[in-house]
Amino acid sequence: MSRRTVHIVMIVLAVIGLGVASYLTYVHFAGIKPACTAGESCTKVQTSVYSKLVGVPVALMGLIGYIAILGSLLAPETETSRFATLIFTLAGFGFSAYLTYRELFSIHAICEWCASSAGIMTILMLLSVWRFLRGDGSLDAPRVETGEGPLSAQVSAN
Amino acid sequence: MIPVEPESDLTRKQRREQAREERKAIEEASAAQSAQRKRLIQLGGVAAVVVVIIAIILVATGSGGSKKAPAPSSPAAKTAATEVISLLQGIPQSGITLGNPNAPITLQYFGDLECPFCKQFTLSALPTIIKKYVRTGKVKIEYRSMQTATRERETFQEQQVAALAAGKQNLMWHYVELFYHEQGEEDSGYVTESYLQGLAAQIPGLNLSDWSAARNDPSYPNQVIADAQAANQNGFTGTPSFMIGKTGGGLQKLEVSGFTDASQFETAIEKLLKA
Repeated sequence: MSRRTVHIVMIVLAVIGLGVASYLTYVHFAGIKPACTAGESCTKVQTSVYSKLVGVPVALMGLIGYIAILGSLLAPETETSRFATLIFTLAGFGFSAYLTYRELFSIHAICEWCASSAGIMTILMLLSVWRFLRGDGSLDAPRVETGEGPLSAQVSAN
Repeated sequence: MIPVEPESDLTRKQRREQAREERKAIEEASAAQSAQRKRLIQLGGVAAVVVVIIAIILVATGSGGSKKAPAPSSPAAKTAATEVISLLQGIPQSGITLGNPNAPITLQYFGDLECPFCKQFTLSALPTIIKKYVRTGKVKIEYRSMQTATRERETFQEQQVAALAAGKQNLMWHYVELFYHEQGEEDSGYVTESYLQGLAAQIPGLNLSDWSAARNDPSYPNQVIADAQAANQNGFTGTPSFMIGKTGGGLQKLEVSGFTDASQFETAIEKLLKA
């Protein structure tokens, strides 16, 4: 897969994740039940004590996280922007892993919206690690030397 | 005639060129390696920080920050009791019904006492409906049960029967309101015998020995079954759910998009009052 394709896939995933997090944030603040095929599971997760961390709804945290990821992906691509994406997706992945653990072992219910967000975040994290480690590719292949650069001028002068 | 460079000079130049290329390749490979090493260190650093933060969150929320039901004598329970008593003061009750028995409109509220959305509705939209329509004799509300949030069937029946038993002394709505006000965290096992008795003890005027005796009344489990059947017939999939209509006439399902806002209930009630 080319770097460009990976970049586009990541943007698409971040937009989908943003949509999921926006919906869950809306549901939280509107006090309505999330659309859920698994009966009351989503409601159970959304209204559990784990749906907030230090008073902040986790759905809102997810929304902010996806905005940060999308922002770093849309920024001009540099080593710094790739590193920023890596930080945000790793943090998002870690937090999703924590929430999934809580769903499975504390709340005993799985919210399909949360699970889909966790899946998206996992793929985003893997792609961002790949993208970061690959760098900009400038050091992967030897440059074509034109003989007009300062180094060649220096060597020729010797 | 074109001057020919000596072979030794060409070789020297070629050697220089070759050496330069080699040096450059080595420098580039070294730079690539160094950059890759730096990236791996950064990746490891970020991953380690994330792991530490998540571990801290796990430890900090380890107990779940579990919201247990307040003890009956606690300030939280006393505040809840004061609110409930003030809300229901002077409104007639009969069994599961709150309000004037001859009220022109009947609203049925299907709830699970452990359901957090029912708590939301009971604490936000319901007081408005009670103050505006029940207290004025326009609407009566029947509380009926439907198991959703409560995991165990036995617990569901036990808590519902405890509420129905308070209804024998026409204080069921006090019990239901107090339950929602003091509701604990789902699946935390807070509904114990002492919790159920603690709620009863907070209701002024409730004779506790009569209430305890009424809890063995065999008609109440049948009432719970009848409620479940009614909920099923109405096609309810969750709680809270509602039926509304003219008293004595057929009731219709009332669909609302949110439980914190009383406006959709008010609209439905006003429409029926004008009909």
